[in-house]
Amino acid sequence: MTGIAPRWIGQGIAQTDMRDKLTGAADYVGDLTVPRMLHAAIVRSEVAHGIIRSIDTSRAERVPGVRAVLTGADTPSIPFGPYVPDWRILAEDKVRYIGDEIAAIAATSPEAAREAAALIEVDIEPLPAVFDPFEALAPDTPPIWDERPDNVANAFAIDRGDLEAGWAAADLVVEGEFTTNRIYHGYLEPIGVLAEAHPNGRYTLTVPTHIPYKARITYASALGIPLDHIRMVVPPIGGSFGAKYEMLEPLIVACLSRAAGAPVRLVYDREEDAAIARPRPPFHFQHRIGVTAEGRFVARETEVTGIAGARVFWSPAILATAVHRVDSLYHFGSMQGSGRLAYTNEPPTTAMRGFGNAEALFGIEQLIDEIAERLDHDPIELRRRNAAKAGERTMHGWLISSSELPACLDRARELSGYPQRRALVEGTRGRTGIRRGMGMAIAHHVSGYKPILKDFDGSSAIVRLGGDGRVSLFVGEPDLGQGQVTILSQIVAEGLGCAPNDVQVQGVDSAMSPDAVGTLASRATTMAGMAAVEATRAARERLTAFIASGWQVDASELEWDGPKVTHAVSGRSSTLADAAHDYQVVHCGLPLLGEGVHRPDTEDLDAEKYGNPSVAYPFAAHVAEVEVDCDTGQARVIGYWAVHDSGTILNPSTARSQVLGAIAQGVGWSLMEDVDIVDGAVRNPSFLDYRIPGAGDMPARTVVEFVEGYEPNGPHGAKSLAEAAINPTIAAVANAIHDATGVRPRHVPIAPERLWEALQEDAS
Amino acid sequence: MAQDHREQRNGAERLPLRVNGDDVEVEAAPMSVLADVLRDELGLTGTKLGCRAGDCGSCTVLVDGVAITSCLMPVAQAAGRDVTTIEGLETDGELHPVQQAFSDHNASQCGYCIPGFIVAAAETVANGEVLDREQVVQSLSGNLCRCTGYESIVDAIVDACGHGTDREVAS
Ligand code: FES
Ligand code: FES
Repeated sequence: MTGIAPRWIGQGIAQTDMRDKLTGAADYVGDLTVPRMLHAAIVRSEVAHGIIRSIDTSRAERVPGVRAVLTGADTPSIPFGPYVPDWRILAEDKVRYIGDEIAAIAATSPEAAREAAALIEVDIEPLPAVFDPFEALAPDTPPIWDERPDNVANAFAIDRGDLEAGWAAADLVVEGEFTTNRIYHGYLEPIGVLAEAHPNGRYTLTVPTHIPYKARITYASALGIPLDHIRMVVPPIGGSFGAKYEMLEPLIVACLSRAAGAPVRLVYDREEDAAIARPRPPFHFQHRIGVTAEGRFVARETEVTGIAGARVFWSPAILATAVHRVDSLYHFGSMQGSGRLAYTNEPPTTAMRGFGNAEALFGIEQLIDEIAERLDHDPIELRRRNAAKAGERTMHGWLISSSELPACLDRARELSGYPQRRALVEGTRGRTGIRRGMGMAIAHHVSGYKPILKDFDGSSAIVRLGGDGRVSLFVGEPDLGQGQVTILSQIVAEGLGCAPNDVQVQGVDSAMSPDAVGTLASRATTMAGMAAVEATRAARERLTAFIASGWQVDASELEWDGPKVTHAVSGRSSTLADAAHDYQVVHCGLPLLGEGVHRPDTEDLDAEKYGNPSVAYPFAAHVAEVEVDCDTGQARVIGYWAVHDSGTILNPSTARSQVLGAIAQGVGWSLMEDVDIVDGAVRNPSFLDYRIPGAGDMPARTVVEFVEGYEPNGPHGAKSLAEAAINPTIAAVANAIHDATGVRPRHVPIAPERLWEALQEDAS
Repeated sequence: MAQDHREQRNGAERLPLRVNGDDVEVEAAPMSVLADVLRDELGLTGTKLGCRAGDCGSCTVLVDGVAITSCLMPVAQAAGRDVTTIEGLETDGELHPVQQAFSDHNASQCGYCIPGFIVAAAETVANGEVLDREQVVQSLSGNLCRCTGYESIVDAIVDACGHGTDREVAS
């Protein structure tokens, strides 16, 4: 296995599980039916804040086909939640946002369930509601949760180095306020769940979550049952981007199934999905950066205020990211950062690809352009000079084990012609007519994050070589469409000498998959990939030892060439399939198993939040070109160049697809998308009113390139990609708009009305 | 499964449909939409529902060779006509040229939107249209994908169109 050119690593093969997706055979949760299955509907609050005086379910119960009606009084009353125990399965005494779950129904058809839901009468005494984070955090605002009289859902503070000395050394200080908005994940598959409560007190939950084991911890605590009483089955996931981490819905449906004594399926329609969308949390940033005349960053301050909504989902980790992750992209010398998340009477916010890092970079990368302009430095060189380099530990202790960022900057410059083209438009910047501009932004991200799970980081995998020679891989990190299954198939095929299509990567099912942290924080390729490398190696070694002992030869004399093994001395040979068959026969049915454990040397953070939480950091340099129609304020992205360092590219085709998809989401975020919430109600819960980019919204020219380094902590030298690819997008577009017009976008999306207004103001 | 509710629906009637070359009879209220009948009555769940509002194209099927959003079409309107779903594109286990092109170009991630894109493109190919990238982009105005950024999808369709004349095309 060593010294030989890889067969499958680096091959741009199409997704190995694609055929089912192309033929309609892939069964997403909404496609699954089981005998006696019922359909669920949820009754939601139409009031943003209020006390539940009464709930009358009698008319609903009489609707033909209704099998169960539940309210908060019928469900376990154990406070729970992934970060803060402010979740309830159904509202008990109060409702706290428009959409809060009050009652649930299981019936023999979706129509009957909805009809019954409409007949439930809820009497709510309205309370004053709060929709603005600063108002929520003001001293006299009544609390949304009595446990948090100040409405602070979460706070994060960190400081490092001698900030006073930093400011004293600064020759220039730039600062600015920036705000980022709520983004709806807009996956094409609406949220759905199939739950089966078994008579023995156990549950099978079929849920498109990408962190099934973490979600199970939350679900078991809510139901007050042991972990192993819940079997989590993950079907194909029709997109998530963070939304389907840990959802509340599986608990509601599980309780319905228990009450009705039959399996129950819930599938949202788009309106419900988007109206209770748990979007990206909106943030308000106050950034300040100090720099010397030579262009060295010496101090940074940031204050971040975000919205958790009425309940805390994953927003605390996003807030922490927004406050301090950028300190491992650049060396700022010294820093102080603080953040607060406000409870408001709005839908809870949660994780989305980019996870606070893209949001922070929106302002930081614009301020760095401003520094370059004011000091008359080359913006690319300014970034290169201050960026963290390979081999360095950053101020918070993050260890940059590999970085090709400098080479990415060079390639982005070359490919886009950024400096020359900017020079061409120099002096043509303006606020009238059609203007063009280019902007650059860089970014990084993590490959896993140790604090996610208290118990362990890393991953494990099991390779199973059946008696028929078929290979299966079991991991606990689900594929959510990004191509995880394909990458893992390539890794196993590489190690065993078979073809990727011969490897069946099993869907995650807690009845047979190893326990795992999950697919989040851009960790799956790196972590599950390393575990798969180990498991494959173990399988190969076990099989080799088995053959050697059968042939009574020394294992070191056996040579593998693809799926064929030969004894160099005697010339005797066999195949993977034959040997696997013999193994199973000799072991009375037991298939050959290879177990792989990947225990990374990530570090726990100390009391000062110092330590290396991730095994590897990917980097990206993006350049966007925009055209702005100053008469309307409409901007369009007309060209885009993305250069990435994700270490070895295991599959250039799936990698490219990741980057292109991220750019599309970035184009939507920067110019089009915004969850419009007025007085707590989502006003645009449809793809008609919440527009995500279509094919025609994409730039005609998008160039994606990888600078392949080698990451020592990742499988075959690879590290993560998916989130690093969205992180620079909105900043790159903002910088391009500034280049074109001189207007500094302070808010995403950079919508036409807003840009038009800014063009008028700045003109005066 | 939806038995007792269906019985109470007024006007449920038996409708003749021709789906993927098979003549079938379904029992459905005339105003129920084609997508639900295909999925719930005929088990053809390859037709996806992304919005039920005509905004996303996931539910695209061909009716008499024309791509329509089946979430909006009352089933009665499809009665007696030729309906082709994603399940009907393969012939004898062989992928349709559009499916093959999607595979060649790795033009899918989560795959939820993909049946809709493929069926829409199958219409283009069946009509013998040879489109360039820009025209393909225009032809896709009714289909949304959140994962891929469209480039590989557009490449696949351009490719499939180019081959439309010399490949056997199912319709
Ligand atoms: S489901 Fe029919 S267009 Fe979206
Ligand atoms: S592949 Fe996921 S929506 Fe298109």
